[in-house]
Amino acid sequence: MPRLLLIEDDRETADEIRAELGEHGFDVEWAANGIEGLDMARSGAADAMIVDRLLPGMDGLTIIEALRFEGKRTPVLVLSALGAVDDRVRGLRAGGDDYLTKPFATAELIARIEALLRRPAESRDTIVQVGPLKLDLIARTAKRGDRTIELLPREFRLLEYMMRRKDQMLTRAMLLEEVWNYKFVPQTNLVDVHMGRLRRKVDQPHDPQMIHNVRGIGFILRAP
Amino acid sequence: MCAASASSSVPPDFIRTTTFRWTVAVAGMFAVYIILLFAVVYWRTERYLTARSDAVITMQAQTFASATPERRLVVIEEFLRQDPRMVQYAGLFTAEGQRLTGNLERLPSDLRIDGPAQRSLFPVGFAGAETQVVRGIARRLPNGNVLVIGRNVDEVREIAEIVGLTLALGLLPALCLSIAAGVILSIRAQRRVEEVNKRVQRIVAGDLRQRLPTRGVDDPFDKLAFVVNGMLENIEALIHEIAGVGDDIAHDLRTPLTRVRVRLERGRKHATTLEQLRAVVDQSIAGLDQSLAIITALLRIAEIEHTRRLDGFSQVPLAPLLHEVGDLYDPIAEDKHITLQVDVVAEAIVHGDRDLLFEAVANLVDNAVKFTPEGGRVELALFHRDGEATIRVKDTGPGIPEIEREAVTKRFYRSDKSRRTEGLGLGLSLVAAIVKLHSFRFTIASGPGCTAEIACRQAQ
Repeated sequence: MPRLLLIEDDRETADEIRAELGEHGFDVEWAANGIEGLDMARSGAADAMIVDRLLPGMDGLTIIEALRFEGKRTPVLVLSALGAVDDRVRGLRAGGDDYLTKPFATAELIARIEALLRRPAESRDTIVQVGPLKLDLIARTAKRGDRTIELLPREFRLLEYMMRRKDQMLTRAMLLEEVWNYKFVPQTNLVDVHMGRLRRKVDQPHDPQMIHNVRGIGFILRAP
Repeated sequence: MCAASASSSVPPDFIRTTTFRWTVAVAGMFAVYIILLFAVVYWRTERYLTARSDAVITMQAQTFASATPERRLVVIEEFLRQDPRMVQYAGLFTAEGQRLTGNLERLPSDLRIDGPAQRSLFPVGFAGAETQVVRGIARRLPNGNVLVIGRNVDEVREIAEIVGLTLALGLLPALCLSIAAGVILSIRAQRRVEEVNKRVQRIVAGDLRQRLPTRGVDDPFDKLAFVVNGMLENIEALIHEIAGVGDDIAHDLRTPLTRVRVRLERGRKHATTLEQLRAVVDQSIAGLDQSLAIITALLRIAEIEHTRRLDGFSQVPLAPLLHEVGDLYDPIAEDKHITLQVDVVAEAIVHGDRDLLFEAVANLVDNAVKFTPEGGRVELALFHRDGEATIRVKDTGPGIPEIEREAVTKRFYRSDKSRRTEGLGLGLSLVAAIVKLHSFRFTIASGPGCTAEIACRQAQ
């Protein structure tokens, strides 16, 4: 059972997050202020941390900086009510691994925690494979079984990202941030349209489905 | 009586003004200078007159001394007779000091014999009862007698009196005049400051329509007032804008929130199955998300408008940026059966924030694709015009009526025709904010369809 440390000063928010994460099989420890949180982070063995940006006692970013300075590499998701792009940049620069603006959908939080816990290792492989799907990063070709899939560069990038994170829930916001490097939320359903095209190319009518659309949350790529 | 003395102990306001203090200081310096000048004039004149009368008496003493004793008596009497103004003195005394002739009773005791001409007290009048300050000289003659010649120097004192009188006549009115001018000037300045003070207090109290008074003359005070008034106008406009934005926020947030509330209330009352309740909750969450998206977009605009990130600017090539935006929106356009054409004639490099410029162009294309009906066409072009790189997004949508064009770049505005299409109405305000940050120009023209242009100054 993955262990999480939640540093969040608002009790109600903390209770909700703990309940929700508990249902999804996480063991969540909770600290209500920065100083206590830093102590628990130092001594505990959390697999990942969720740290609120503004905390009494000690600022969330200060905690992360202190931990990173001490060489602790526990992945951190920064939670913040400050939604500006600059704040996000600051959070990541301080050593945070991901940044989520309040309020958020719990599904988004869980997807991001899962992503943090299962971060793909830096791989030097030139071939990525999920089930019958095979991506040649040098030749820039994609194949499903024997069938060659013609992909546009942006589709190739999207598919590579998803294959490296197979079986993981990828929310629209995560895809926008990571694949398109978008720093804002577009008004149109950009992700859905791009994903729809990729899906039609990967999953042909007679194929078992690999790209799954989870309604209201995002997409998962699974081996059939 | 008490009150009068109490009030008189406090100096009036005008005395405390800088104008008045300067006036008094300058008047004082002027007076000192004039007094010194007059003193020098007096001193030089006195010296000159004294030297002249000394020369005269020395010469006369010489002349009388060289005459024979008999002749000398005659000449002295003649000399005294020819002096109607009674300014000449002469006397001949024996070695023992006995008077032989002349209009002096005694030998003046302070006069050095055979010395140069000097200041001396001469005993005159009956039996030498009076004394007179004169310039005098004494000579011992070969026969032992003492010859005394003197000259009244009252002229010098008269000159001193004239000088003093002139000084008083000239200096006093000048001083009074300058102090009066100082008082008037400082009272005037005081009044103006008080007027300004009053207005400023009203402004502080919240009356932003107040302006500082001007006289329509080109003095520094007026210039300052003009500058301050300009500033006040800007502030007033900004405050109005903020107030307007506040209303917009209230309206655009309240609308979805009210919907959520009504929906929840009805759901609670009427839902009979879990499914129905879930549907209500889902709709409510969507409504809340819409409100949150509005807040996010607003914060984003505020972030851009108040950004100090100009130092994060770099050289941004526009051609690849446009291709990227085209690439991003191509599938969306295709799904809607809209032709999205990217027409990049030449490369242009501008100084700016790439992410923000991307956001601006993406927003324009987003809007164009959204508002263009099926089968329409969106053109994204980059070309040079009048030395500026111009990004143009042109569509075959409904266009924007001229009277609404300025309004659409303001926050939250959405043209009525587009109410049916999803969108928060913040896209164009965001573009306007980004363009303003870069000091580029943003124009919206409507022919058939809508044409939005960003004219960019190119990096040198």
